[in-house]
This record gives sequence, C-alpha cells and structure tokens, in this order.
Amino acid sequence: MLAVITSLILFFAGFHGFAQDQNLSVISNTKGVPDDMKMEDLRSVLKGEKQRWGDGTKVVVALMKTNTPAGSSTLKKIYGMTSDELNKYWLALVFQGKAKAPAFFNSAAELQVFVEQTPGAIGIVDSPGSGNHKKITIDGKKTF
Amino acid sequence: MRFGVKSKIWITIIGIVMIFAFFLLIFFPMQQEKYLLKNYEKEVQTLANTVALGVKIALTEQNFEGVQTAIDFVNKDKRLTFVAMIQTDSSFNEQTKKADVKKNVFKSYPETFSPDPGWISNDTMIIKWSPFSTDMMKGQIMLGFDTSEIIKSKKEIRQTSLLVCGLILLLGFLVGLWLARQISVPVLALRDAALEVGGGNRNKYVIATQTDEIGELGRAFNEMVSDLRQAEEENIKSNKNLAASNAHLEEALVELKSAQSQLIHSEKMASLGQLTAGIAHEIKNPLNFINNFAEITSELLNEASQANLTPEQRDLVNQAKDNLIKINTHGKRADSIVKNMLQHSRATAGEFQFSDINDLCNEFMHLAYHGIRATNNVFNCTLETNFDPRLRPVKVMREDLGRVILNLLNNAFYAVNEKYHRLQNENTDEAHEFRRIVTVSTQANEGNVKIRIRDNGNGIPEEIMDRIFNPFFTTKPTGSGTGLGLSLSYDIVVKGHNGNLQVESVAGRYTQFTITLPA
Repeated sequence: MLAVITSLILFFAGFHGFAQDQNLSVISNTKGVPDDMKMEDLRSVLKGEKQRWGDGTKVVVALMKTNTPAGSSTLKKIYGMTSDELNKYWLALVFQGKAKAPAFFNSAAELQVFVEQTPGAIGIVDSPGSGNHKKITIDGKKTF
Repeated sequence: MRFGVKSKIWITIIGIVMIFAFFLLIFFPMQQEKYLLKNYEKEVQTLANTVALGVKIALTEQNFEGVQTAIDFVNKDKRLTFVAMIQTDSSFNEQTKKADVKKNVFKSYPETFSPDPGWISNDTMIIKWSPFSTDMMKGQIMLGFDTSEIIKSKKEIRQTSLLVCGLILLLGFLVGLWLARQISVPVLALRDAALEVGGGNRNKYVIATQTDEIGELGRAFNEMVSDLRQAEEENIKSNKNLAASNAHLEEALVELKSAQSQLIHSEKMASLGQLTAGIAHEIKNPLNFINNFAEITSELLNEASQANLTPEQRDLVNQAKDNLIKINTHGKRADSIVKNMLQHSRATAGEFQFSDINDLCNEFMHLAYHGIRATNNVFNCTLETNFDPRLRPVKVMREDLGRVILNLLNNAFYAVNEKYHRLQNENTDEAHEFRRIVTVSTQANEGNVKIRIRDNGNGIPEEIMDRIFNPFFTTKPTGSGTGLGLSLSYDIVVKGHNGNLQVESVAGRYTQFTITLPA
C-alpha cells in the first residue's frame, strides 16, 4: 500500500513537474531566421555558438528572465543549467568577447516587440501572440 | 670681483634663461607627467568601475547590456593589456580562526593572457581594481593598461620642453645681444669717450641716436664736451687777454719806473741847476772884483816897471806881474765856468719855432767838426749822416737844441779821438784798421722825432752810466771839460722840450745818444 501511495505521490509529483514545464514556442524577426530549425541548431544559436544567420544577419537572442516560468522552462529545455550557471555562462562569453549577450525580458509581450523590431532576433516564449514575427518550427513542431 | 655692464647683462640674461630652462625642462614636465599619470589612472579606474558595475547588474538583474557595452568599450581600447574578472571565495579557517580568502581568475581577456591577482602597477603597466559583490558571486574587476602611451606622451612633453627651452635660449641670446647693443655698447663708448675727454681731447663725441635714457645720456655728454670746449676756449682767450694785460702792465711799469727815474733825475737836476745858478750868481761878483783888480794891478805894475828900480825890485815886480797873469787867467777860467753855470740855469729861456731838424743837425755837425779842427788840425773823422726825408719841421728852441747837438758831437769827437790814440799807443792790429766814425741820423715817427748821434769811440763804462748827466761829472782831464755839457743838454731836452735823452753804450765799442722830441 505504502508502495502504491509512494508511487502515486511520485507519479503526481512527476506529473506536476511536467505540468510546470510549459510548452515553448520560438518566434523570430522576419529577417534572417529560417522558418524551421532543428533542436540542436536552436540550442547552438541560443548558447551563442552561432553568431550569424545564413543570410549574414547577426543573431540576437531574446529570452525570458529565469525567474519567469517561460524562462525557467527555457533553462531546463535548452540550456540544462541553473539561473546562476546561465548568468555565469553568458558573463563569461561576454567578458571574453565571444558572443553578444541575450536580452532578457520580464514579459512575453516585451520580448515579442523586441523580436519584431530587431533584425535577426530570435526569442523563446510560452505563448506566441499574433504580430509581425515568424513562428519557427523546431524539428517540424510549433512547440517543444 | 668686478663685473662690467656687459657681464651683468649676460649674467642676468643667463640667470633668467636658466630659471626658464629649469621650469621648462624639469618642473613643468614633472607636473604634466604627474597630472597625466593621475588622469590615466583615474580613467582606468573609471573603466574598471564601469565594468564592475556592468557585471553586478548582469548578475543581479540579468541585464547584460551594461557589461556588454563596457567590455566592448574596454576591449577596443588599444592601451588595454588585459581585463580580468577575479572571483573571491572566502572560507573560515578553523585553525587560524580567520577567513581564508582565495582569489581566482574567473575569466580574462585576452584569453591567452593569464594575470596574477597579486599584480600591482609598475612602470610599464597600470593595474586598477574595482570590486563587485552579488549573492551569486563576489570578486573584482582587474584592469591592466600599458603605459606606453604615457611614456610616449612624456617623451613628447620632454621634446617639446627641450624645443621651447632651445627657443628660450636662442631668444635669451638674442635679447642679450640686443641689450648689449642697446646698453653695454653705448655705455662703454661713453666711458671711452669720457676717458679721452679727460685726457685732453675736447673733440670726442659719442653717437647718440637712441631715444631712451642712454641716448639722452649720450646727448648730455656731447653737450658737456661742447660746453667744456667752449669754456676752455674762453679760458684760453681770457688767459691771452690776461697775458696781454700783464704785458701792458709790465710795459707800463717799466715806463713808470723809467718816468719815475727820469722824474727823480729831473728833480735832482733841477735842484742842482738852482743850486748851481745861486752859487754862480754869488761867485760872479767877487770874481769880477778879482779879475778887474788883477788887471788894474797888472797895469800899475807895468807903470811901476818903467821907473828906476833896483834889479831886486824889478825881479819882484816881474814875479808879481807873472802872478797877476796867472790870477787873471784862472779868474777868466772861473768866469767862464760861472757863465756856463748861469747858462745852465736859464737853459729853457729860448723861444720855440718850427725848424727843419735835418738842416739843424747838418749845420751843427759841420760847426762842431770845424770847431775841433780849429783847435786840433790833425784831427780826422768820418762823418756819416742818415737823415729821414719824411721829417716835417718841428717846433723847437733852435739855439738850445743846437747847443745840445754841439755838446753831443764834441763828446763824440773826443771819444773817437781818445780811442784812436789809445789804439795807437797799444799798437795793435785794430789800430791800423780803426777808422773814426761819427754818425748823425734822424727818424720821423708817429708823434715824435728821433735824433741819434753815434760814435765808435771808447764807450761809457757801465759803472758810471748813471752819473753822466750829473752836473760837473766829467771823465776828461782837468781843464778840458767843465762837466756841465751833458747836464745842460739833458735839461734842454727834457725840461725845455718835454722830450727824452737816452744813452746806449758798450764799453770799447760805441756810444749812441738818442734825442726824442714830441712832434
């Protein structure tokens, strides 16, 4: 019985955990960013490893702050780091001039406006609204 | 030590230039380097602070925009040697009971550069620290900037200072030359001119074209020299006038002494003349009695001698007659002397009339010569005349002046004859060559007439020269002269004609009497 209860708790806990990981969507500026990307390419872009798009447009990363649900999900799904680790990661890159640091936003709306106005910008949001941006499919899926 | 004006000018200029050189080469560069270094350190510190602030914002607010901008700015700076983020980790040490602080380089740029957290600034690099502290991470931003730019700037400052110092030196040299030309050269020229003027050159001037005080000094000096020369010329002129005045005074003094001497002599002669006249007058009456009774007695003896007398009586009568003859002879001689003395007393009694002096001299010269020839027929003498034809008739007492000429000529004839006989007796060579010469000359002058009677006789000895015009003074043997001739002549010329009678003689060679008469 105890085992059943424990299993249930763990199941629900795990479910709850999965329930906290929101589906994320990738939006981008209309310029430079391809319509579909593989997850590995997305990770590479978001980790600052890729600096320019195929047409030469400079890559600009826009992320939700890590204290937001979308930001937290992004940490887990893309970076696999804690918030501090992410900060240190980007600080190290910026400090050594290896990459341009991402822009962090408190709201999806702000992020969406930034992406729409910045050529080559790509951002991760939990619920992409309508606007002058592209919705990038990752491995053929609109969310991940 | 004595410094000249030029030395003082150069010492001043060099002193000023040295002060400028000190400030330009040492003080100002040091100050500039100090401020430059201070500003540089401040700038680096500001950059470090900015980066640290950016890091803090990035770590706390997840906003990397600031640190990105700061890092981009720092990385672009060419002076950057490195920028490093030092992470500080503290842990409590149980053994030491103190916190152990470990400093590790978190990241650095350039990546290949590995700075040591313990580094400090040195000559080639300035290192600045700026701490940051967040919940996630504590540490410091360490910025290293090289000082090559500072060294280059220092070098440029020193080069500029050296160049400016060189220009100052050149300017100082030019100013020194200019001052020397403007001050030293004129002052030295003035000194030399003053020495030359002091040495007696009163024509030494200086060139004074400057419009400043030096020029004014030069002009004042020139005016002084000019005034000095003028004063000297006036002094010389005054001295000449003074010398001329002195000469006139001396001449006047000589004339005064001569006049005084003549006056004394005149007074003396006048006194003697009066005395002589008085004596002559008193002697003349008894002398007349002597002469008259001698003649009468002689006649009586003549009558007595015709009577019958014994031979002894006749001898006595004859002796008495001889005595009477002698008495009569000497009585007449005494009478003659008395007459001369009386003539002496009335020497100025004649009348003035215009007379031709040349004719007068000629007449009395022949009268005197024939007079002496009458008493001495072997006498021979050459008469020379030199009468001035310009001579105008002069108002004189003709007879008296004639007596003067006659007296002087008689003396001249006597003198040449005496010399002739003396030479004959000595029988020298001069005796054969000697020729008796008496010269009479006249001369017309402005305001007077001169008559000169010169003989080449024995001359007058110096010791008796001042006595020859005294009455009764004679060098002739007794009976040959009364000693009244020159005395009488002197009275006639001086007192009678207001003239002058002078004698000039060299013993053994000549005698010349000069009669000066006012015309």
